[in-house]
This record gives sequence, C-alpha cells and structure tokens, in this order.
Amino acid sequence: MAFQNRNKFCYFKENGIHDIDYKDVKLLRRFVNDQGKIMPRRITGTSAKMHRKLVRAIKRSRSIALMPYVERGIE
Amino acid sequence: MRYYETIYIVDPNLENQVLESLKTEVGQQLEKTGSKLINHRVWGKKRLAYPINKQKYGTFVLMQFEEGDQVKMVEFMTLMKLNNSIIRHMTVTLDSKPEVHVEEVKKEESSKSNDTELKKDVSETKEEKNKKVEKENSTKEKEPLKVEKVVSGEVK
Repeated sequence: MAFQNRNKFCYFKENGIHDIDYKDVKLLRRFVNDQGKIMPRRITGTSAKMHRKLVRAIKRSRSIALMPYVERGIE
Repeated sequence: MRYYETIYIVDPNLENQVLESLKTEVGQQLEKTGSKLINHRVWGKKRLAYPINKQKYGTFVLMQFEEGDQVKMVEFMTLMKLNNSIIRHMTVTLDSKPEVHVEEVKKEESSKSNDTELKKDVSETKEEKNKKVEKENSTKEKEPLKVEKVVSGEVK
C-alpha cells in the first residue's frame, strides 16, 4: 500500500532521520506488514544501515508490547 | 558517560496516588545505584499490542538517567522484576548526544512543576495552533495565486 511506488528510496535518508526511536510506533508501523512481520529491504527500499537500525527498533518495541509479535495470526 | 533509558509498564488499575508513590520508590531505588535521574515521567496509559498477565492496557513510565554503579544495577533490575505492580520493564542505552536529553529534561521539569498550568497551556496552544492553521491556509490560498501571476508573466 505504502510501497506501491516502484521508485525505491530510503525513507530515512530522504527525511534525514539518523536514529530510529523504538517508541515511535507510528513510524515503525510503516515497515511492518499487516501480520506484524518486518518487510524486506527489497520492498521498502531502506538502506542497509538504516534497515539494521529499524529492525532493532521494531524488536525493542515488540518486547515492550508497543508492537505485536504476531497479528491476525493463530492465537 | 553513558546514558540509559528504562521504560516500564505499570498495572493500569493503580490509582494515581499509588502510581506516584511507586514512581518515587523506583526513583529512590535507582538513585541507590549512584546513577543520576534526568527524566522520570508517566508516558500515559496505552493499549498493549498483546496481553501481558491478562491485561489489555498498561501505564507506561519513562525514565532516563546517567550511568551509575554497574554492579548495583543488577540489584535494581531484580527489584524491578520482583515488584508485582510492574508488569514489564526494559533498559536501553541511549546512543544520541546526552546534551539534547538535558535540554529535554529542563522542558519536562518545568511542565512537571505546574500540572494545572500545563492543562491551561495545552488548551491555549491548541487554540494557537488552530489560529496558525487558519493563517497557513490563508497564506496557502494566496501563494498559488502569486505563482499563477508569475507564470502568466513569463508566458507574455
């Protein structure tokens, strides 16, 4: 939905974001599909460096229950 | 000096007074480790992404502090674990510049001091924002007109 545009660009580089906060759920939600899985770099177009930071932030916010581990999955 | 951030989720059914006393207790426990508290505030009641201890909601409390005695921090962590009203907690190192956090603290401390004034301020700021938005809208309406004029001028 958010990534239908074929022209790939790093969201963070484009917006000048260097540090990703795990509390910023609104931002992190963009990089997760509706199952709660982290989207691959080949789809989101984030740079390798920022993707590593992004993954860390998402995993942190999962552990503190700000983001789900699984959504609409088997519960 | 390293800076850390601890976030912990408190039982949402606690009353405000109990929450405050718990907060001060946690703060005192942290200061026993020799670390300096920079920031300690209630982030708010939020819906948890998944139920913890059959709770759907939780009150999040944020705490930022300067590095203290590392060995004593282990004791602090066990205390946090043993406290029944704290559902979950997590400590994270802050890798951004500490100066920025000090500035944040000043702002938050001032906001902490007068809660009643804060509410007033918030309502005022909202009004101001609305005004600003109106202004912006008006300016936006004006701007494209100017552009059109310029364009037409070029065409001529």
